[in-house]
Amino acid sequence: MSCVNGAVPTTIIVAGLALAGYALLMTALNRRMNVPLLAAVGVLEILLLVQVGIIVAKLAGGERPAGLATLIGYLIATPLVPLAAAFWGLMERSRWGPAVIAVAGLVAAVLMVRLHQIWPVIHV
Amino acid sequence: MASPEPAASPEPGASPDPAPSRPASTRTGPGRLLVAVYALFALSASARAGVQIATKFSHAPVAYLLSAFAAVVYIVATVTLGVGSPTARRIALLSCSIELAGVLAVGTWSLADPATFPDATVWSSYGSGYGFVPLVLPVFGLLWLRYWARRSKTGGTIVASAEDTGEAAAGGAAHGAGGAPGHSAGSVG
Repeated sequence: MSCVNGAVPTTIIVAGLALAGYALLMTALNRRMNVPLLAAVGVLEILLLVQVGIIVAKLAGGERPAGLATLIGYLIATPLVPLAAAFWGLMERSRWGPAVIAVAGLVAAVLMVRLHQIWPVIHV
Repeated sequence: MASPEPAASPEPGASPDPAPSRPASTRTGPGRLLVAVYALFALSASARAGVQIATKFSHAPVAYLLSAFAAVVYIVATVTLGVGSPTARRIALLSCSIELAGVLAVGTWSLADPATFPDATVWSSYGSGYGFVPLVLPVFGLLWLRYWARRSKTGGTIVASAEDTGEAAAGGAAHGAGGAPGHSAGSVG
């Protein structure tokens, strides 16, 4: 039984937590959303899309988790989180914009842990 | 779409552009973060309750119905805090109060009677499966709504005043990740 390499989920967890930490720092320092923060969100989004792609490839190869509907729900929702956070945070012109991004970073990390629980072949 | 920015003096040494000195509605300022977290829980609770009820309702009907109820409460809170009108705020106050009562009641019930709650739901064990955020979230929601109730009472929603600054600092310090009094820093005296 092939396993999804744990490198991608682990990287996402680290990247998500780092993004959350950086964004919270910006909130504490009263900084608004800026381009570097958005770029970091973009990087996280790309990583999440890579992870989704890997999982879709596994599904296409015929493997199935116990809860397929749940997994598909996560696959759809996961890439939407950084996008929604970026839009909502950009609308805010105060320190609370980055706070929204911090939530997205934390959620990304949690999503990786949840994916592992849903389908243990996805290693963390 | 962005709220009209009141005249604000630039904060020395902070962000390059002056941030709005006071949030314009319940969905801006710290409300931006609050609505984001509420939306997250509305989505996650709805999905979880939906899957539970659709696939194994007979397994724990009470728990899953409470889970669905929690999802509805989160949706109402998200929408009303997002709308921000005085009527919406009143509904949000009711919703957050029910939410707080709910997480405390269901949390206690799930600990006292685990057989009724074989699977974790949003409010089981005071939301321990979600980092206790469900326990803390309604408190912040109520504090935020209280700030807005006071602000609309003093009638200072448009013109910044010294008393409002004091109240804003008191309300602002209570919630949000920053911790530093964000409202008062940029307020015009």
